[in-house]
Amino acid sequence: MATQAPRTSSTVPALAPEREVRWPQRTKAKLANGLEVILVESHTIPKFHGELFFRSGDAAAVDRGVSLAEMTATMLRTGTTKSTSREIEERLRGLGADLSVSAGQDTSAISFAGLSDQAEPLLQLVHELACQASFPAPQFERERRQKLEEVKLERTQPGFLASERLRKILFDSHPYALVSPTEEQVSAYRVDQLHSLYRDFYTPENAILLLVGDFEPAKMRDAIEKVFGTWSGKRPIPRESPVPPTPHGRQVYLVHVPGAVQTQILCGCHAITRKHPDWIKLALTNSLYGGAFNSRLVMNIREDKGYTYSPRSAVNPLCQYGYFSVSAAVRNEVVAASLTEIFYEIDKLRSIPVPETELLDAQNYLTGVFSMGLATQSGLLSQISTLALNELPDDYLETYRQKVRALTPADVLAAARTYFDSANMQIVVVGDRSQIESQGALFGEFKLFDSSGSLIS
Amino acid sequence: MKPLQIPVEHKALANGLHVVVAADATAPVVTVGVYYKIGFRLEPQGRSGFAHLFEHMMFQGSENAAKMQHIKLINSSGGVLNGSTMYDVTNYYEAVPSNALERVLWLEADRMRALKVDDENLRNQRDVVKEEVRVNVMNQPYGGFPWLDMPPVAFRNWANAHNFYGDFADLDAASLADVQTFFRTYYVPNNAVLLILGDVNPTDGFALAEKHFASIPAGPAPKFADPAEPKQSEERRGDVVERFGTLPAIAVGYVLPQRRTADWCAMALLDQALHGGRAGRIYRELVLEKQLAVEADGGIDDIFGYNGPSQMTTRLLHKPEVSSDATLAAFDDIISEIQQKGITDSELEQLKVKWRSDYFATLEGGRGGYMPKYGLMHLLACFTLFDGQPQLVNTILDGFLAVTMERVQNVACTYLKPENRAIVFRKPAAVSQEAA
Repeated sequence: MATQAPRTSSTVPALAPEREVRWPQRTKAKLANGLEVILVESHTIPKFHGELFFRSGDAAAVDRGVSLAEMTATMLRTGTTKSTSREIEERLRGLGADLSVSAGQDTSAISFAGLSDQAEPLLQLVHELACQASFPAPQFERERRQKLEEVKLERTQPGFLASERLRKILFDSHPYALVSPTEEQVSAYRVDQLHSLYRDFYTPENAILLLVGDFEPAKMRDAIEKVFGTWSGKRPIPRESPVPPTPHGRQVYLVHVPGAVQTQILCGCHAITRKHPDWIKLALTNSLYGGAFNSRLVMNIREDKGYTYSPRSAVNPLCQYGYFSVSAAVRNEVVAASLTEIFYEIDKLRSIPVPETELLDAQNYLTGVFSMGLATQSGLLSQISTLALNELPDDYLETYRQKVRALTPADVLAAARTYFDSANMQIVVVGDRSQIESQGALFGEFKLFDSSGSLIS
Repeated sequence: MKPLQIPVEHKALANGLHVVVAADATAPVVTVGVYYKIGFRLEPQGRSGFAHLFEHMMFQGSENAAKMQHIKLINSSGGVLNGSTMYDVTNYYEAVPSNALERVLWLEADRMRALKVDDENLRNQRDVVKEEVRVNVMNQPYGGFPWLDMPPVAFRNWANAHNFYGDFADLDAASLADVQTFFRTYYVPNNAVLLILGDVNPTDGFALAEKHFASIPAGPAPKFADPAEPKQSEERRGDVVERFGTLPAIAVGYVLPQRRTADWCAMALLDQALHGGRAGRIYRELVLEKQLAVEADGGIDDIFGYNGPSQMTTRLLHKPEVSSDATLAAFDDIISEIQQKGITDSELEQLKVKWRSDYFATLEGGRGGYMPKYGLMHLLACFTLFDGQPQLVNTILDGFLAVTMERVQNVACTYLKPENRAIVFRKPAAVSQEAA
């Protein structure tokens, strides 16, 4: 359809000269107690964003209990030796602050944001949570019960069921295989386990404090010294974990959800971490494949065929291992057709060099989006945090663009051939068995699970 | 506390298109938005879900940018893009390195001037939208709860009460002629605002807007259906079946005071008192203290972004061994307490500090956190289209900071009453089957 209207230019305007991307200076310090501090100025709004993270999470706690680091994190704000849960929440509100405490596989973290003119009282509260949590028994029983409901609820979410299964396949006896505890495991948590985990993990030697926002670094440094200077504690001894398996051949894992009106597909294989020299090469290759709206996978199974709303691929970088994954929620009739296209696009990138113009487009995309981190305090914090957690070099932000721009079609071909392991991709499909079993079984050796995680056949 | 001084400049082109520029050179990034004053509330009857389906069609090609070109040109300039359909507006937005500003304006102007789509595009996007509804609603525990469950229970005017994502039969019935009519009726420059935020010199911004948009002809002013609701005289209740989740859920929605009145400002702080995270009375009482609920959240969603009847909605998932009646009674106790005793001076002070802090956070990020200045863009657009005053972004806080304890108690008594509310019970099918 075309409406009648006078035209102006029918040609796409060229890009103007680029304005230089200048990353702000990072002020680094280390307190006498071992606490590392990184400060970055960003005056976009009269606020600041921060994170106090500890280099130990659920993976380091796995011998004591599955997801025990997460349970410990949840408990931090429910009481300290100085304040009740209600006092903590009302102090936060009065400071205009947001705060969350969480743990993932590799870290435990207190994340916060507040008004610049209330920075020191917020840091005092963060300090209180980091070293004076008291784990009151009634609150522990309440949070345990909450967790029990949460683990039941997540078993009704197709996305959770898919990622739980893929992690088990790729990581087996490595702690990364365990994304969530069972109800029995939650029931077995004891409050003394939380105390000892807290003592071991939440120490200044194990921590990094990152602040981004509207403040003067010298003054903020003094406030940090005053608030955190007397805290003490050693870095815990790292836990040795078994090496994950390397699955051979495509296998299909169907998680049966009776009555599902759609199928969640999730395929994956081992890849690399952010520390690996090929990381940027793989990031660019992933962006070409399914990491951007304009990528091949999205154009194929969404814009051309209409199989799905939200297909995407990702490289998931945990600290010790990374993996590549492709996901799409598709209508039940096109599960086989969608898998065919997913592998078609993978195999095409593995066999035909990407055209120069398409490569340039993807390079522009990756560098442009990377620089957007500059525009907001939370975006900048997330970049700085990624660097600190992965111990990436100081000039990573400044050199990223040129590293992306230096890549060639041969690099992309090599990255796809190495890390998009088509022949050994593991395939998870979550949906109604009666609608999708025969389609799934076409793609490899077949196993069937129920939504509790048990093998049916 | 410094007053806000966001540099906002505003002009209207001869064809009626509003242009708003807010310059900030912090990062070499520019955010562009085009907002049309039409959302799913006033979409045509018999075409539920059409405003949203149409939003998808706006990415399917225009006179000089064929299908996929739009997305490709933004991504390959180093930018991101999206669109969304809301109650009373539909937006299209991009964040790009600032050297791509003219390209983005050219693309937005091209699709405002002449959408060019065919039957195959429509079939394709109808399929995509159905999968969107399945992934977000039909195949998810508590999908669409309460945003799709509440309107048919709470409202009587079709505009406010229908299925905004669309019944599949209505989506199937949508034709290319409908697309054409909708475009010609609502997607005229005199029903839109263009926003340019971030790394732009205002003079250049206005000149580029003039260059690309000025020749798009104005259309007849769109006629809008009246979204007013007949007066409600008693509490309304409805039931919905939950197919996957195991916990019973309840949503309680109260109709809000008129936009931009003193009561509306007080209602926002009352909302903060009730729903402000773990310090809010509802979470504190129902989850932390009485421990009846597992989840308790909600409140006023996007307070500046609607232009018709709207609600403050509480969302509760409660323990299966607690009855819905007992949960609702505990909720009602919280409401009566605030009606009888009001809030304290120190509580009000905390609420204002938090409200101000949240407002700043909205300006920087807001919905779509990866998009710099999304929140500022959204506020400027709504203040332009609904109020004709984008400058409100610098002053609207004052009304909220002037709210008194008496006014909060007063709105609690006036608006939080049964004849102003609707309740939806979402009951797990699995549990009732097991019990049977």
